[in-house]
This record gives sequence, structure tokens and C-alpha cells, in this order.
Amino acid sequence: MSSPTSTVDLHDDALLARLRALVAESPVPEAAISEVLQALQKARGYIDDEALQLAATLTGLSPVKVEELCTFYSLVLREPVGTHVMRVCDSIACHMAGAQDILTQARQHCGVGFGEVSRSGKLTVIPHVCIGMCDRAPAVLVDQEALGPMDKQALTQLLAQLEADVWKPS
Amino acid sequence: MKHVFYLDGQEIPFVPGQNVLEATIAAGQDRQIPYFCFHPALGSLGACRQCAVKMYSHDSKHPPRITMACLLPASDDLQLVTLENDVHTEHREIIELLMTNHPLDCPVCDEGGQCHLQDMTVQTGHSVRHYGGPKRTYRNQNLGPLVYQEMNRCITCYRCVRFYQDAALGEDFGVFGSRNRVSFGRLEDGPLESPFSGNLVEVCPTGVFTDKVFRHDYVRVWDLQQGPSVCPHCAVGCNTTPGARLGTLRRIRNRQHPEINGHFLCDRGRYAFPYVTAHSRPLQPRLKGETSRQEAVLRQLASRLEEGRSGFLGSPREDLQSNLGLFALADCLHAPFAAVTSSWAEALAQQCLALPQAPSLQEVAAADRIVVIGDLDSIAPMAGFAVRQALGRGARLTVLASSRTGLARKGDYRPLRPSALRDQVAQLADDPCLQGGRVPVLLATAETLGPSGLYALRKTLEKLPANARAGAFVNRPNLFGAAYFAADGHTERLQQALRQREINHLLCLGADPLGEDWGAGAWRTLSSGLEGFALLDMVDSATARAAEALLPVAAFPERAGLFVNYEGRIQAFAPVYQREAQVLHSAVHGSGFPDAAGGMKHPLGPPSPLFWLGRLAELLHVHEAWQKRLDFYLHFLCPAAPDPDSPGVLLPDTIRARFEIATLPLPPTVGPEQWELDIFRWYGGETLADTAEDLQSLAPLRGLRVHPDVQAASATLQGPCGQLHLPVIPCEDMVQGVIAIDQEGFAELGLYPGDPVEVTWEQEP
Ligand code: SF4
Ligand code: SF4
Ligand code: FES
Ligand code: FES
Repeated sequence: MSSPTSTVDLHDDALLARLRALVAESPVPEAAISEVLQALQKARGYIDDEALQLAATLTGLSPVKVEELCTFYSLVLREPVGTHVMRVCDSIACHMAGAQDILTQARQHCGVGFGEVSRSGKLTVIPHVCIGMCDRAPAVLVDQEALGPMDKQALTQLLAQLEADVWKPS
Repeated sequence: MKHVFYLDGQEIPFVPGQNVLEATIAAGQDRQIPYFCFHPALGSLGACRQCAVKMYSHDSKHPPRITMACLLPASDDLQLVTLENDVHTEHREIIELLMTNHPLDCPVCDEGGQCHLQDMTVQTGHSVRHYGGPKRTYRNQNLGPLVYQEMNRCITCYRCVRFYQDAALGEDFGVFGSRNRVSFGRLEDGPLESPFSGNLVEVCPTGVFTDKVFRHDYVRVWDLQQGPSVCPHCAVGCNTTPGARLGTLRRIRNRQHPEINGHFLCDRGRYAFPYVTAHSRPLQPRLKGETSRQEAVLRQLASRLEEGRSGFLGSPREDLQSNLGLFALADCLHAPFAAVTSSWAEALAQQCLALPQAPSLQEVAAADRIVVIGDLDSIAPMAGFAVRQALGRGARLTVLASSRTGLARKGDYRPLRPSALRDQVAQLADDPCLQGGRVPVLLATAETLGPSGLYALRKTLEKLPANARAGAFVNRPNLFGAAYFAADGHTERLQQALRQREINHLLCLGADPLGEDWGAGAWRTLSSGLEGFALLDMVDSATARAAEALLPVAAFPERAGLFVNYEGRIQAFAPVYQREAQVLHSAVHGSGFPDAAGGMKHPLGPPSPLFWLGRLAELLHVHEAWQKRLDFYLHFLCPAAPDPDSPGVLLPDTIRARFEIATLPLPPTVGPEQWELDIFRWYGGETLADTAEDLQSLAPLRGLRVHPDVQAASATLQGPCGQLHLPVIPCEDMVQGVIAIDQEGFAELGLYPGDPVEVTWEQEP
């Protein structure tokens, strides 16, 4: 995940070539939309309006259709995020195992609301649907890494590592 | 063979292919099956889970099970039950779930009283919300002047988005989010772009989307006077239900006509109605610009007519009887009569009527090869909607036009200058775009083709297989009715009489020869030979302002009448309410209400044109002869006058047969280097609609549209009747070498679509 202030130029030739290749590989241009969004998010940190328009132009979908997709998939980000994104599962198994406490602790740590960038710029916490880790509830997803079960202590430690930029995915 | 299934022991007939809910609704027996996501025109989705029925099998091996009626194909002898506790519980509980987040704001909701959700909730008996959690709250969007959004009332039936995207092929409205935070709207605030956006108001079964224009002057639906009417804003003739209260029209809703508009209307049809309440609408008779008593105006007019030097001018904007009434009066007085303002329009009308039977919109929707010529959406939007339905069923669409229109984006677009377009129409019979299909249909905006192009279209049709059909559209409700009188050079004779000073007075009905009607440029010159003219009309116009005598007439929902639509279908409309001539603001009581003691009477609104014409006939002592002729013509055209609630009757073939026209219309001659003129329109524009403020706030800028390769800020056009200076609007969608201006511009110049034009480009704005 790149930084919240990523300034990757959407007109960057290499990026555009990569996106065009994704479209070309797909059986119909529209079908490439998820890959295009993923690549754009990776490059830019999140899908801003400009990126959304570009994705629409490249795939031939209307901007509304692209936004439908972006808002449907909770892994697509439409707002800037911190260096790391922590998704805290709040679905049923995790809820029973104390997800609310995890969410509260994480939010207090950030000092801002869910989905917003913490004051340090390092972290964004987002409540999330089941991530398939119900056996290790309460679970969280940090960037691409699923962790659990979480408790107060483990979370404190994790947050400290993220803050200090020393956290590494296993 | 008759097919039936049983619902709670009652026989329900069905047509194979129908689902159980569809058949039950069609049979009017849906009291026991609540539903949301199913819509007769949008089909089943199975999303709301509301339409549960219990199905019993004929053998004892399979226990009865609950299933969704909208997803269950109707089949013979199905045994279905709803009157059992478990079905009823299901109905109640599902609605309780759907209502979890509903704000229960019926008292302040515009939908209240006509709300499907209210009805279903009462019907299923749900009354207590067991879930104690907080309700979800949305930020609403401003969707422009026509549709109001209150997202909290949504029950996620998806009807809106299925209508907007799947049926109307709109691209600026969608469904966002997932799970319990789904919302429906635009990417960002702003007016909805589809010409059919107002249908959201009717397809949404709750109060999420309501009519924003109705909101300005709202009344509860049970206080509305409603009745069957026909849309007066184009030749399609969609069926409508106007709703009025206290002498003013408040809204227009769809009235189903299976062969024409189905469940929908275009935004012009729905939102143009404020022409009846426009401040500029003439409500009192006027003599030389001053409000006058009706008897005085009638006498003055009668004495003019008595001089025997009057001509008569009807209009395709007026209904059939009124035109006949005028024609009959002209006939009694042996005076020249024309139904349209120019010979070009007359030839156009003749060519339209000479086309063989046009397809109904239902038939258009079933076609599989469609050629659209011109900007159909902007002339007759619902015809464009039928094309979209056909596209949804896999039809192949080819669009011939001089700019990339809304429909052109949905099919194969052939950008053509008007002259090339006419040539191409003549070649269409061998064109691959019509090959390989079962049902070819050609739809044209009449003005784009002009008389010669329409003639070419008819010849092309003769070469196509016998089931090929063609339809020509105008933005007038009764061109086909007026065309009957437009048959043999009437307009030229009328103008000739004026030029030769045989007449010095003109009685016009619903026409605007000095304003924006076709040929207005010529009339402005001709009118110098007039000592005066009279007008019967319901809107303000250049002609109304200049008229010596002005007799205001009832708007269409205020009277009965007949329109003949583009198919030659005669449809009747009924008076829905009576307009007050003056809104009562009693100085004494300070209120708008009539005196409780009955001392103050509502002054009556303007009468129908036939009333005025009848009075004139009386004053001229020709009433009996006039009435006889009127009845005779009416009987001839329409032996059995249709009822407003009926689907209408088609003009007899004998009438169409009159229109094998002897003289061939000639196309304008255009050199390769010359600029060609085409018409620019938008879906909300039309004479009556032009006074509807909310709708007009969406109107595109006035100017001269041309491909951006022309570097100019403004331009001066030169026509036989005048000059026109307009700002240049560069437009990517235009074909090079073509200039598009609005109808007023054509009237000013004295030119017609497809004509070559002289232009001077200027750098100064
Ligand atoms: S807005 Fe209305 S039509 Fe659309 S899903 Fe919600 S309730 Fe259904
Ligand atoms: S298509 Fe024509 S007749 Fe139908 S609603 Fe629109 S303007 Fe009225
Ligand atoms: S419920 Fe949290 S991972 Fe499944
Ligand atoms: S109407 Fe059948 S599931 Fe919605």
C-alpha cells in the first residue's frame, strides 16, 4: 500500500500501458474493470475521481457503473488512507468475540473516525465484513495480512509497530 | 385452450410464459399477495421476498412449500395458498424487515395516500417494529428540478435502477454500496439526464422519488380531480392522467396504454403541464391588446368575418374537432382555409399521412432491425424509449443523423449531412443494416427528412419485405388530424389570396404564424397586407401579442377533444377540471377561498375553441349549416368516435388512400461547398412546454451548433426572410459542414431543415 499522498501521475505512460494491457487481455473491455481498479489503487493509494474517470474511459463503462463497483467492494478505497489500512471484522463471529472493543481501541488510538487518516498519517481503521477468519475471531486485516485472534494487548503492540513503521507482514 | 391455476381456491387464468404474480395482478386478484420488486414492465427480480405463496403438490410425497410468486412460472392446476398462518407470518415479517430503517414519516411524505409500501404494510398487518437499533440515515442528493429524493424511505426493491439503466438505458443513475447501506442516485448532485427520469416517481413503490414540480403546489392524491387525457406535446399521443385541484392543474401521471406508452411517460409529457398555469397564458378575451368583454370581441370578429375577406388558419397543435370547426366555418363562409402555416409543412403532413400504417410503439419494441433517422428522442421521446426496449431485446439499431444523438450512442451511428441522409434513405432497402432480421422498422423525425426524404422513405418501404414498417414523428399532437385538410395546396392558396389582396383578415386557431411556426418568415411579410387578425389560443405567442382579437381557449385537460397520433389513431381526451379565469384573492377576506355564503362565484375559465366558433357561426347566422358540416366531417373521419377510456380507433384506410400525392416533392439543391442547416432540438422543447419553468431550467443554451473545426465566436446566417446573428457553440457531436439551429431560427430565416445557408463567421461574440 503506498502513501496517502501518492502523487502517481495518471498520465504516466508506464501505468497507462499497464492498464491498457489489462483491458486488452480481457475478453471484453468491461470485464477488466476489477483489475484496472486494483492496479490504479495500488499505484495511487485510492481511487480518486480522476482515477475513476480513467477506469471508465479505459473499460468503456459509465462512471456510474464504475462507482457502483467501487462502492460494492469494500476493498476498493474511494478516500485517501494512511500508510497502513487496518480492517477490523465486525461480522457475527467477531462481533461475538469482542470486535467492538477492538474497533473502539483502534479508533481511540487514531484519534479520528473510521475511514479517516490518523493524525500521524500512518493508519486508517475501517470496520469490515467477514474476512473468512471466523475461527480466529476477532480478526483484523492489516494491509494484505490477516491476523487473529486479537485482544487488547496484541492490538496495542500491533498499533505501536505500525506507528513506528517497524511492522512487517510475515 | 384456457389455462388456469388456483389461488386460495380461486381460478386465476394465465397466458403461458406468465409468472404467478403477473397473472394474479392481471386478473386483479392480488389482494392476497403483497409485492415490491416485481413490476409489470420491469419483470421479476426475487429481491424483496415479499410475494410468498404456499405451493401444494398433487402427490403426498412432497410437503407444501413457500415460494416466491414472482419467480414461479404459472402452470396448469397449480394449487397455491396465501390464507394460512405461515404465509401470513412470512408476509408480515418480511415487511417488518424491509421497514427496519424506514423513517415512518408518512404525514410529511408526498407519496402518502398513493404509496405501495403503505398499502402493503396495512394489507399484511405489520404494525410493531421489534428491532430497537438505530435507523440508517442518508444524505439526499439534489437530482435537479424534476425529481425529489428522500433516500431514507428506500426498501431496496431495485425498481428505480432497473428502470433507469435497464429500460431507459440511462447512464447517470445507479445503485451504490452493498448490504444494508445501499443507495440509489447519481455519482454527484445534479439534474438527472435521462428524458424519462420522471418515471422514477411512478416506479418507486415508496416515497424515495417523488414529483418535485407537484411539490410546489401539492395536494393529497385523494383531493385531486383526475380523468383520462392524452398528452398534447407530440405525435405519439401517450395516455395521461392529469390531476387538478381548485381549478389548477397540479401534475400529470401515466395512464397505461399497452400499445403506446405502456407504464411510462417522457419528461416533456409529465412536466410540461405548467403551460396551463403560466402567467403569460391568456385567460381573458382581448381586443387590440386590451382585456375586453367576450361579447364585444365576438361582435368585432363577426363583423370582420361578415366583410367576406377573411382567411382561416388551423393548426396541428389543436385537436381534431376544433380544426374541423374552423374548417366548417371557412366552408360556410366560402373562405380560404389552411391547416398548416407553410407549403413545406403541408407537403410534410401529406407525406406523413401517405406512409402506410405505422407500427405502434409496442410493435417498435418488438422489432429486431431498427433504423432511426434524426433525433427521435428530442421530437417524440417515447418512440425513442420503445427503441431502447427493442435494444434490450437484442435488436440492431442504426442511426442516421447529422449529430451524435442520445440514441446514436446506443447503436451504429452514421454521421451524415442532411443531403447525404436523404440519399441514404433512398438506398436503405439494400442496406446490410436491415438484412437478416424478421421485423424491420424505420423511424424518422419528419422534419429531418422533409417532404422529399419522406417520399424516399415510402419508396424504400415498398422495396422492403411486406412486414417492414415505418413511422414519422413530429412534436405536434395532431399533425395527422390536421393533415387531412392539408391535402391540396390549401396553404399556397391562402397565401396567394393574401398576396392578391383578396383577403385582408385572418382567423387563426392555435397557430403562431408570426412567431415560431414553419414559414413564419414569409408570414411576417404577408401580414403587412392584413388589416387585422384574430387568434384562438391557450398560450402567449408573437401572434397572440399582435392579434387584433384574441379569444383564449381551454387547455387540453380542461376540455374534451380528439387527437390523431402518428399511427393515425384517433384518441379522445376528457375534461378533467375547470379552470378559473381569475385566481380568487378576495381583497375582503384576504384569502383565496370563495365566500362561504356562496356569494362569490368562481368565474368560469376559457371555453373550448368549438364554443367560440359556434358563437361566431350564430352571430353570422350560419350555425345550422356549420353544425351540419362539422358533424358530417367528423363522421366521415371518425364514424365511431372513441371513448376517452378506450384504446382509440385507427383512421380508416379510405382516408389514407386520399394521399397518393401527384406532385413529387423536390429536395433542396445543395452544392458540396455549401453549409447545410439542420434543426437542433431537445426533449423538453415544444411550444406549450416552453412555458414550463422547471422543465425549461434544463434547456440547453440557444446558439448555433457546429463542429469545433470552425474557429468562430459567432455567426450571421442569411435566409430569404431575414438575418440571424447567433453565438457559436462548438459541438463535437456535429457532422462537419452542418449548422444546427432551433426552430425559431428557421422561422426567422425563412428556411427549412436540409436547406443550404449562407453564413459569415465572426470572431467577435
Ligand atoms: S429508491 Fe424506491 S425504487 Fe429504488 S430501490 Fe428504493 S424503494 Fe425501490
Ligand atoms: S412521447 Fe410525446 S406524447 Fe408521449 S409523453 Fe412524451 S411528449 Fe407526450
Ligand atoms: S466474522 Fe469476522 S472473520 Fe468471519
Ligand atoms: S415481488 Fe417477488 S420477490 Fe419481490
